[in-house]
Amino acid sequence: MALFLAATLALGVLYPLVVCGVAQAAFPWRANGSIIEVDGVKYGSALVGQSYTGMDHLWGRPTKTDARTFATKSGESLLWYGPENLSPASEEFGDVVQERVAAVRAAHPDQGENPVPSELVTASGSGFDPHISPAAAEYQVGRIAKAKGMDEEEVRAIIRQCTDRPLLGVIGEARVNVLEVNLMLDGVLKTAINR
Amino acid sequence: MSASLGTALFEAAAFVALLTACALPLSNYVVKAMDGCPSLARRVLGPVERGCARLVGASEQDSMGPGRYLAGALALTAVGFVGLFVLLLCQGFLPCNPEELPGLPLDTAFNLAASFATNTDWQPVAGESHLSYFSQAVGLTVQNFLSPAIGLAVAFALMRGIAARSAEGLGNVFVDVIRAVLYVLLPLALIGALVGVAQGTPQTLAPYETVQLVEPVAVDAEGNVVAADDPAAVQEVTEAVVPLGPQASQVSIKQLGTNGGGFNGANSASALENPTPLTNLLQMAAIMLLPLTLVFCFGRMVADRRQGRALMVAVLVLLAAGIAALTAAEFAGTAQLAADGAVYTGSLGQPAGNMEGKESRIGTAATALWTALTTAAASGSTNGSLAGLTPLGLVVPLVFMGLGEVVGGGIGTGLASLLGFVVLTVFVASLMVGRAPEYLGKKIGPAEMRLAVIIAIAPSLVMLAGAAVLLLVPDAAAGAGASAPFGFANTLYAAVSAGANNGSALGGFEANTPWANGVLGVEMLASRVIVLACTVLLAGRFAARETSAAQVGALSTASPLFVVLLLVIVVLVGALTLVPALALGPVAEAVL
Repeated sequence: MALFLAATLALGVLYPLVVCGVAQAAFPWRANGSIIEVDGVKYGSALVGQSYTGMDHLWGRPTKTDARTFATKSGESLLWYGPENLSPASEEFGDVVQERVAAVRAAHPDQGENPVPSELVTASGSGFDPHISPAAAEYQVGRIAKAKGMDEEEVRAIIRQCTDRPLLGVIGEARVNVLEVNLMLDGVLKTAINR
Repeated sequence: MSASLGTALFEAAAFVALLTACALPLSNYVVKAMDGCPSLARRVLGPVERGCARLVGASEQDSMGPGRYLAGALALTAVGFVGLFVLLLCQGFLPCNPEELPGLPLDTAFNLAASFATNTDWQPVAGESHLSYFSQAVGLTVQNFLSPAIGLAVAFALMRGIAARSAEGLGNVFVDVIRAVLYVLLPLALIGALVGVAQGTPQTLAPYETVQLVEPVAVDAEGNVVAADDPAAVQEVTEAVVPLGPQASQVSIKQLGTNGGGFNGANSASALENPTPLTNLLQMAAIMLLPLTLVFCFGRMVADRRQGRALMVAVLVLLAAGIAALTAAEFAGTAQLAADGAVYTGSLGQPAGNMEGKESRIGTAATALWTALTTAAASGSTNGSLAGLTPLGLVVPLVFMGLGEVVGGGIGTGLASLLGFVVLTVFVASLMVGRAPEYLGKKIGPAEMRLAVIIAIAPSLVMLAGAAVLLLVPDAAAGAGASAPFGFANTLYAAVSAGANNGSALGGFEANTPWANGVLGVEMLASRVIVLACTVLLAGRFAARETSAAQVGALSTASPLFVVLLLVIVVLVGALTLVPALALGPVAEAVL
């Protein structure tokens, strides 16, 4: 009993607080959720994806949104995300993929019958993946450039600035931060976040 | 980054090799720390250890027999269970609850308390929407330290029993738990937590952030999310939530202690818990580090390192087979995903294969590797949605859990399960050559055999019994979350995960029902208590046996022949328990 209480105090209170202290002192932006804030407006976390359907935005992974779990203190619904939990061998999943392929192709006439990169039609593990593969981003360049009236190369330059490479070239995958790209496309962010 | 299946397998092999290389020196440190040998760490932390021991009235000199050792381990588990249960029920009245979350219902609190006290970390509800910062840190994080510490202590009791020259005590369980936390778990967890925050895992007591959506949406009258310009829209949704909290401190110990319970429902698939490829790599390493280290510890404790190396070879063979099978299945993908060539699943500019349920920054290969590790070591943390695995990929986690923590397993319980199978193998092998069974100079009698067999097969029996109840009771079967065969796989996976004290889950299963909470909670407690009890009792039996001199011509338990025999026995027992169930679930799904 005494051991349990001592452990609770040391491991449940002291240990998290020490980590809090160091984190808040040394990495305040990251320790508080990597929130992208411009001129007092919080546009989201660099680590939490959002869903985009606008023709002038880069689209991320398909998301399953939910407005029932969280609300503000005054009762307004807040958006949150969940995983899709479909077996990739199920008939239902097959139908979902077909629908997504059709929707993506309809929005990208310039790509014609080119195969759609897998990440545009598969949900992520968390449901709020903040990234998309370079292949999936490149697929959308023509559509975004047309909607924004920009040069395709300008769009590519923005995507490149918001791309993380694998660590040491081998660990992890190359990925594009979708929120950063969209904030840059909208002119909210002038440069990509330091990475 | 994995261009092809070959590259992915090569990288996985390099990872496992490096991890094994790290486990070797760490095993030296852990043995010294647990046995109270002088070391640099003890010079620094010795006064803290002695202070804690004095506080609880425990002393190294007070070496316990199996009865007292077991009573201590179970008492600590019971106090942790009851403490957490009460805390979760009272959550609404406790401090550090910025989201003003209410206390949990009775069945959910029971399940969660059983889950974290038994090192399972099955979670019927998502942490970010149901648990306050107080419950997460003071409740769950504490059990994330204590349950692996108890496992580590019990493993050392077993090793001391086997190594004992003549009847000796097994050590002091309270001193062992203090040492496990102070010298092993806490320093490693602290390093992990700091790397985590440096990479982007939140660590704060401030309330959740609310952020502006780039593209606002709306909800219809039933609360479903619809497009902002949808005619059914009744209210605009312009903001999203970003869950925060003391996450980094919990994530690091969830991985190190083979716990696996995430701060968020999405576990380490969430970019908040696992923001970069570096954190992904370190968390994967943390899952398997201590289970592998304990195998080397065994060799050191019995003063014959070949014994540890032989067991390590057996573990690595099984692990490699699982990683290869799972990775290959995920790279192959499914016909539904390929959609007759309409979807590009190649490796140019993206991870190849089945990306359903996987994160862009992590990719196919690292998700497959993690999934194999997390079910081999009884962790259960995930970096993707397991429901998104291909049917044949899903077989690997089920088999790893069904084998009963042999491939690394939970901290302590994994080594105990492995040694249970070793004793079984020694017995079978000795009968084959007509000798009295003996392991490391200790005779194996009927009592030892009984305990070893219970350790080896009790978790399988518990999980099959749980699956039977969940499938046959009509009210319980409603929670399968999908039609057969996938619904069957959902339920089977839940029952196997709880019985193996693993805690990973297929997302489609409705976990937060009274039936599921009750049955799975009982499963977790039964498995853990049976394995802990039989392990300590087996340690006591071994300690009481005189060590005989090695006989000429006796079976060498460090030989390749023995390793092969051990593998055959493990696979045979596992196959006999699981093949029928697997055939009805994922295999049927792949074939149909």
